[in-house]
Amino acid sequence: MPEADPRIALLLALADDEMIIGHRHSQWTGWAPHIEEDLAFSSIAQDEMAHARLLYGLAGPLLGRDEDALALGREPEEYRNAVLCERPNGDWGYSLARQYLYDTADAVRLEALASSSWSELADRVRVIQLEEKYHLDHARVWFARMAEGPSLTARERLAAGLGASIAEAMAVFEPLPGEPALIADGVLPRANESLLSEWLAAVGEALEAASLDFVLERHAGIGEMVPTGSGEISEAVTLAPPGVSHREGRWVHEGGFTGAGGRSGRHSEDFAPLWEEMTGLYRAHPGATW
Amino acid sequence: MPAEAPDRAALEGRVWAALAAVRDPEIPPCSITDLGIVERVTLTFDAVDLELLPTFAGCPALDAIRQDAEAAVLAVVPDREVRVRFVYSPAWTSDRISSAGRAALRAYGISPPRGRTEAEPAPVLIPIEAVHAAEPRGTCPFCGSDDTALESSFGPTLCRATHFCRSCRNPFESFKPKLPG
Repeated sequence: MPEADPRIALLLALADDEMIIGHRHSQWTGWAPHIEEDLAFSSIAQDEMAHARLLYGLAGPLLGRDEDALALGREPEEYRNAVLCERPNGDWGYSLARQYLYDTADAVRLEALASSSWSELADRVRVIQLEEKYHLDHARVWFARMAEGPSLTARERLAAGLGASIAEAMAVFEPLPGEPALIADGVLPRANESLLSEWLAAVGEALEAASLDFVLERHAGIGEMVPTGSGEISEAVTLAPPGVSHREGRWVHEGGFTGAGGRSGRHSEDFAPLWEEMTGLYRAHPGATW
Repeated sequence: MPAEAPDRAALEGRVWAALAAVRDPEIPPCSITDLGIVERVTLTFDAVDLELLPTFAGCPALDAIRQDAEAAVLAVVPDREVRVRFVYSPAWTSDRISSAGRAALRAYGISPPRGRTEAEPAPVLIPIEAVHAAEPRGTCPFCGSDDTALESSFGPTLCRATHFCRSCRNPFESFKPKLPG
């Protein structure tokens, strides 16, 4: 896939995150603990896929492919989502921890992109922001409910979910290929490292308030990225996020990312089965419309 | 061309009137003009360009609205090409809903969205014990009571939330506020 225009890497990162996490959220439909949560996750999924569509709509002319072809017609290694978004839903604790970390991270980057020099992107981002507010509300009330108890099981499961996802959530801010050019043009108003720093401080504060900040101290690595296709990626690569420490009352990261992950099309072992399922119908009936 | 001006104004009026009869299929009491979905109508010599704002980006009714708007306008200007497109600037917000639209929502049993200046209550969670602890929000469209609680910010469509009225003990829906900040 030609990626001469650095805006493509940005759009696919944003759109694929929304598409893939939207697909995961949609898997709660019919299985959530009660019907209101079926509706909540189904609605959030519908919003996220619509946001992906708005962004694929901008990427389409740059790539010469329509929205459907971008959403469903690419090979696994062409997807640029963060690994966080592709993980299976696990239990309720993991799902809500992941939603909390993802949507708080998404809010930070959307706020920056709302002042992008690329006005078509900024316009769409402002539309997306108005809808993401409800996703954040959902994640925050569940975070508070599970963190504060009275159920110790709920708190333990939330903590386990946060521990499993925190490093992968940091990798939402993995630097993009071509990022310096995006910053120079003002398309991306702030570097991913600066966005990571803002998000980590805010999330650190919320975790501290809930006495859950130990998950930052113990944050695990992301692990091996497995080959997602027979193409250019021939061997497993590890993506490691920066370290995290607490300094002068604030959670900060140290150093940068090593290796390469979702933003280079490298994914976890969970991506291939998701891709098989998500794109199966599209691949079975090429060119179908509905 | 000055000579054409009165005709054009009359024609533009007819186009707006036609659009005022197009219903939102998910909110049937309201027309797309009540909801503030029609941003711009531009008449040219051989075409009518409509710019519409999607209420919620993932609204599945958008294609139906596009087709219905096109058909309605074509009926009053059959000699011109009608082009409909969705635009994203300005972002649609719920304070674009007219007072007629708000009244129609209420009569239909959907509480209209809170205005920009009204205080925003904290979000709460179902199940029901949370409802009873919650701050009141929204006016019940059935009995008019403000003694109500939000059950969930999500509901049968992307633009609706679900509530419970503690006074008449009916569940009801509201049109979700979509406001900046």
